[in-house]
Amino acid sequence: MPPMTRILRFAPALLGALALAGCHSLDVADLNNPGLEELEKTPTAVGVNTAATGLLVGLRVAVAEPNGWITLLGAMGREGFNLNTNSDPRYVKEMLVGPLDPGDFGSAFWAAAYANIRNSVILLHAVDGVAGLSPSEKEGLRGFAKTIQALELLNVVLTRDANGAVIDVDRSPTGDPGAIATKADTYARINTLLDEARTHLQAAGSAFSFPLGSGFTGFDTPASFLKFNRAVRARAAIYNNDFSGALTALSQSFLDTAAPLSTGVYHVFSTGSGDATNNILQGAPVIRANPTLVTAAQLRVGGQPDLRVTTKIVTGDPGTGTSGTATFTSDKHFTLYPTNSSPVAIIRNEELILLRAEANLGLTNVTQALVDINFIRTNSGGLPVYAGATTAAAVLDELLYNKRYSLMWEGGFSWFDYRHYSKLTTLPRLVTGGSFFTKMPFPTNECLARSPAPTLGCSPEVGQ
Amino acid sequence: MRTKCWVLVPLAVGLLAGPAFAQGRTVTGTVRDSVTGGPIEAARVAVQGTSILVSTGATGQFTLTGVASGEVTLLVRAVGYRRREVRLGAGASSVNVGLEKDVFKMEEIVVTGQATGIERRNLANAVATVGSEDLGTHPTASLEQQLQGKVAGAEITTNGGAPGGGVQVRLRGVTSVNATAEPLYVVDGVIMSDVAIPSNANALTGAAGGANPSLTQDGQVNRIADLNPAEIESIEILKGASAAAIYGGRASNGVVIIRTKRGLPGTTRVEIQQRFGFASLRREIGARRFADAAAVDASGAFAPGTGAKYCGSGACPFFNHEEELAGQKKLAEETTANISGGTDRTRYYASGTYSNEPGIITNTGFKRQSIRLNLDQRFGDRLSMAVTTNVLHTRADRGVTNNDNNGVSYYYMLTGTPSFVDLRQNADGTFPKNPFQASNPLQTANRLQNKEDVWRFVASNRMQWTPLNAGRSSLRLIAIGGLDYFIQKNTIFSPPDLQFEPQDGLPGTSLLSNSDNLNLNLDGQAVHTYTGAGYTATTSAGVQYARRSLDINRIESRNLIAGQENVSAGTAVRVRENRTLVKNLGFFAQEEILLMHERLAVTGGIRADQSSLDADARKLFYYPKAAVSYRLVSAPRGMIDELKIRGAFGQTGNEPLYGQRFTPLNSTLNLGGIAGTVVLGTTGGTDIHPERNQEVEVGFDGQLLKNRVSVEASYFQKNVSDLLLTRNLPPSSGFAQEIFNGGKLRVRGVEVAGSVVPWQTKSATWFVRTTFSKNHSKITELPVPTFQTGGFGTSLGVFQIEQGKSATQIVGTHLLANGTPAPSDTVLGDANPEFRMSLANDLSYKAFNLHVLIDWQQGGNVINLTRLLQDAFGNAPDGAAGDTRIGTWAKGAASTYIESASFMKFREIALSWDLPKRLANTMFSGVRSARLSLSARNLIWLHTPYTGFDPEVSNFGNQPIARNIDVTPYPPSRTFYFSINLGM
Repeated sequence: MPPMTRILRFAPALLGALALAGCHSLDVADLNNPGLEELEKTPTAVGVNTAATGLLVGLRVAVAEPNGWITLLGAMGREGFNLNTNSDPRYVKEMLVGPLDPGDFGSAFWAAAYANIRNSVILLHAVDGVAGLSPSEKEGLRGFAKTIQALELLNVVLTRDANGAVIDVDRSPTGDPGAIATKADTYARINTLLDEARTHLQAAGSAFSFPLGSGFTGFDTPASFLKFNRAVRARAAIYNNDFSGALTALSQSFLDTAAPLSTGVYHVFSTGSGDATNNILQGAPVIRANPTLVTAAQLRVGGQPDLRVTTKIVTGDPGTGTSGTATFTSDKHFTLYPTNSSPVAIIRNEELILLRAEANLGLTNVTQALVDINFIRTNSGGLPVYAGATTAAAVLDELLYNKRYSLMWEGGFSWFDYRHYSKLTTLPRLVTGGSFFTKMPFPTNECLARSPAPTLGCSPEVGQ
Repeated sequence: MRTKCWVLVPLAVGLLAGPAFAQGRTVTGTVRDSVTGGPIEAARVAVQGTSILVSTGATGQFTLTGVASGEVTLLVRAVGYRRREVRLGAGASSVNVGLEKDVFKMEEIVVTGQATGIERRNLANAVATVGSEDLGTHPTASLEQQLQGKVAGAEITTNGGAPGGGVQVRLRGVTSVNATAEPLYVVDGVIMSDVAIPSNANALTGAAGGANPSLTQDGQVNRIADLNPAEIESIEILKGASAAAIYGGRASNGVVIIRTKRGLPGTTRVEIQQRFGFASLRREIGARRFADAAAVDASGAFAPGTGAKYCGSGACPFFNHEEELAGQKKLAEETTANISGGTDRTRYYASGTYSNEPGIITNTGFKRQSIRLNLDQRFGDRLSMAVTTNVLHTRADRGVTNNDNNGVSYYYMLTGTPSFVDLRQNADGTFPKNPFQASNPLQTANRLQNKEDVWRFVASNRMQWTPLNAGRSSLRLIAIGGLDYFIQKNTIFSPPDLQFEPQDGLPGTSLLSNSDNLNLNLDGQAVHTYTGAGYTATTSAGVQYARRSLDINRIESRNLIAGQENVSAGTAVRVRENRTLVKNLGFFAQEEILLMHERLAVTGGIRADQSSLDADARKLFYYPKAAVSYRLVSAPRGMIDELKIRGAFGQTGNEPLYGQRFTPLNSTLNLGGIAGTVVLGTTGGTDIHPERNQEVEVGFDGQLLKNRVSVEASYFQKNVSDLLLTRNLPPSSGFAQEIFNGGKLRVRGVEVAGSVVPWQTKSATWFVRTTFSKNHSKITELPVPTFQTGGFGTSLGVFQIEQGKSATQIVGTHLLANGTPAPSDTVLGDANPEFRMSLANDLSYKAFNLHVLIDWQQGGNVINLTRLLQDAFGNAPDGAAGDTRIGTWAKGAASTYIESASFMKFREIALSWDLPKRLANTMFSGVRSARLSLSARNLIWLHTPYTGFDPEVSNFGNQPIARNIDVTPYPPSRTFYFSINLGM
């Protein structure tokens, strides 16, 4: 074989080349995004504050999209629709006829909510370990994070209702999933989170350490944010039939009949780079309102329809949607969001006044309820005071009418409220074979992750 | 952690040879073809044991000076001929050498390692080689198209017909589900980028939705397309892991080794080629013809009264929109010139190319300019240097085609535009509004710009030092530095007055993307050869460091009221940036032994790789290889001239994608200008590592009947394990998916390449080459539930990854014979063809040459959504039959639009005539050769049942699995060229 001694003369050069290559570090960091691990393990004050604002970014996901919260829930509550059935027949077929499929639109509004809940869980851990923030600033962060987490959980239970929700969320994402809790346990958890948040906010000093953006103008200090927290607490209490709890919370909220009805907290949008736009704006060619909102509106003195119709709906070019067997046409357009920078309410004064009416009605305090209902009728609808029967049942119908028209196209309230009182079938079906759903199923992957699959929420939801 | 290393480069120069002796005799001679007697140009004549080397001129003549006076041996070699050793007696001063054609390239050296090679007759793998004589017969926009139909086992398919390329090269079937599908390209030692950077047309078309959409439907060009085919000397294709193992962790999809042309010592040569041609629409998909108003209304596709409005009381007019849109036939041209030559110490090759190929749609086309200088320099006997430099500029105007959700894509809009409406430009330059769709595609094509401009610089330097070259032992030390840098600028401008533009409320869109890519590699290799009694042992070892970075900046600007393209003119501006940086380090060692008088060849080797893409960037992954070949017959025996059996085994890797090891926080979002971070949907792989591809290949090669017939047959099986997969997480975890390694797939296949010379006389030759290949994949282990990938869901047909099934199966909805729905994941087809075959005929008679290449694919399926769109809009060329199809589909039968992908087409046809010398000299003063040729590419279909443009299609670009989805692509063209080649 080769004379090794000759070869060995060149060995140092070769070894040198190998050593040179070997000591070169190959580590490359993520050049596009910061790591989650850094926030979890070595949080900084800036990182924590940015993650706090991130909760509002997460909260805004899928709210104002052609297949988002307002549109799909609005379809189930017969407020308005996406009629772009050329590109996706499910907008009519699944949302108006059904069944709601765990693998299709039926799975919506679960993953985004839990992603933001994960954001809040990570933030709460990071706050515990961060240096450079004062104890009161940390309390502010905790109160904020728990309030947003509670609001996300409320959104989850509002769509899943009797199917329940996952409330055990502080676990390893890749480990076993948390159990499915009942609706009652979920509401209890929401209340706990909101009440813990109150305690934190009360110890949070005079200012937050992070910006909340223009959507929280007037609610961006711990004290004023607490009023938003109580407003959410009142909404949760109403849907949980805790009417006296609702009244208590409302009294601590920003409910104010002397203030504008629009006072409240908003999702904000802009065309700025990296910001989100409102994609259900008036000019969106695919969005239409339910024409029966116009025809079923009560009339003002003089015969004109409810102001809430004339200010929120106009007639424009018609649109037709089809699911193959069912066709639906409308030429009504919402004017609530004139541009793609128009804000969307998270919760506002008008709802709180109606929630107070609803709580009083729930406590059979019909007279007190009618005070608030008439306030909204006259101030928001331009209608005369209520002149119908004053039985609890009749006033409930009147309350539902006012919630439907006051909170129209703002986030599925018709569906929540008519379902709450088992009155969905009193809404127009609009299409042949149209049906109403009382709850949405879990996404397929939520069911597949559990063995056996949960008894509720894992099969297609058939409507009434 | 960062370590700084100071590099001590031991510059080992010295050993420069002394001055050359001018003494000795002069020997002249001629090299000729032993059959035809014709002179062989550019044959190399070397005096063995010396550094004397010359090449022959146009008449085959050579002159050697300084030849020692005793008996010497000349080694005469020429491309395409068998080498010959000629004894030259003491005192002889002239010699005539006849060379035999090496029709089957048995003496060609084929790569077996990073710096080693072996003659084909000893090769243990079926490595395909395509030489310059088979390249450039006819111009193509991208290099890979030149290889179509020429390589057994290579499925080379275009993604659409858009100028500038977009071609997938798939070697021996699928290798991955989620990782990259591109082979590794090594050009003169440079690891060249084949990245495909989308144009961001998606920002207009909305083909993929969401805040951060995947831009795979932009019709992107994979950048190896930039290389100029005219400058390439040879392409070697290592198809599987057994041949490519020494390239390690990036070679799972095969390795394509390209060498560019270099100068030869001797006479200076000048070659000029001028081409003129044009492209034309190869096939129209057609539109429905309506007889009269009643027929329009009866179709049910239009609002009542439409018929009367457009057709009146007579016959409906028919406007051929397709012809208007894609009927452009503009003059294409290509000019190439090169000059080469040198001495035995310095050799050079310089070349320049300009080409301009207008597309068949207005405002589209492809231009390329390339300048190359390749330089070889020897310093004495021991040190040599080979430098390559190439500056490239390509510019593609690609229009907007493929899938679309916003009414932009030309053909998408045409599928929904009835033939009775007139969309042609008005006399005043405006275009009529298309009342049936969101846009008038003729207006869009006329006014919208989609430009891709690439400037690229590729350079390499290869230094070789031979410190030891004594007796039986030689040692070569090689250092290679490679650089590939390009900037790609994509500009898309959609003026505010386009019909679809006001729809988003922000008229006018300008999209600017600037990308820069840098690939660097530094290789060090040592090769020791020892020649013993009856054996040769070659030991090689080396190290390779590679680094690549890609930075993509995108600006989307909308609301360009003033119609100004500058992105700062918009009121809604969005910016995005994406960066990647990858570092790889590899070590290899290999031993090749040729023994039993070159009958038995045994090879063993190992490669070890570490990469910044792995979760542990410090961990080495090992890829072994072993190969053996034995020549059962090494000298003619009966009818058999040569017979070899061979077997090879090897492993390669496929890297994780950039970022898969990270769990990032999304930091690109904000709330009215206030930054906010949120989790992204995917958790990174904490143990992510390369996929592993293990291949075994066996085969035999033989030559029969006095070198008239050659057969190369191979069988291979590859097993890919540790697939990069995503596992779905319960969304209540806050995450959607987790990336991990798991699962296995297997591909088995056969390849046959055969050549026959049925006829060979002094004046005429007929040479036939054929390839056949077939492979089948199977997912053998899948640790996640069956999942779907690519495509648009089961209602339109989708790819499904399922244990025990083919990796490329297409599933979807289907109706049983009794009209009831079958399961929604019924298997409807498979993208993988049953087999591929090609037949190349080269006929030469005196000065005429005819080349015909037929490319045949049998079986496989395409999801034809272009046809679905036509049917859905009531616009099927076959009228009511389309209405029936769409009715069937609507009941739940995606199977309606799954079509056969079989085709047989004339890929290349070329007829050339070498002008007689005297005539050439008369016509073109001073030339030594002139050739005229006529050629056509993709001329006609011999057969295809496919109803769309072409079954070679991929809406989603290059994909490991999900090709063969047809959504209104840029229509493919056929091209014709007339060429003049002059040699001086």
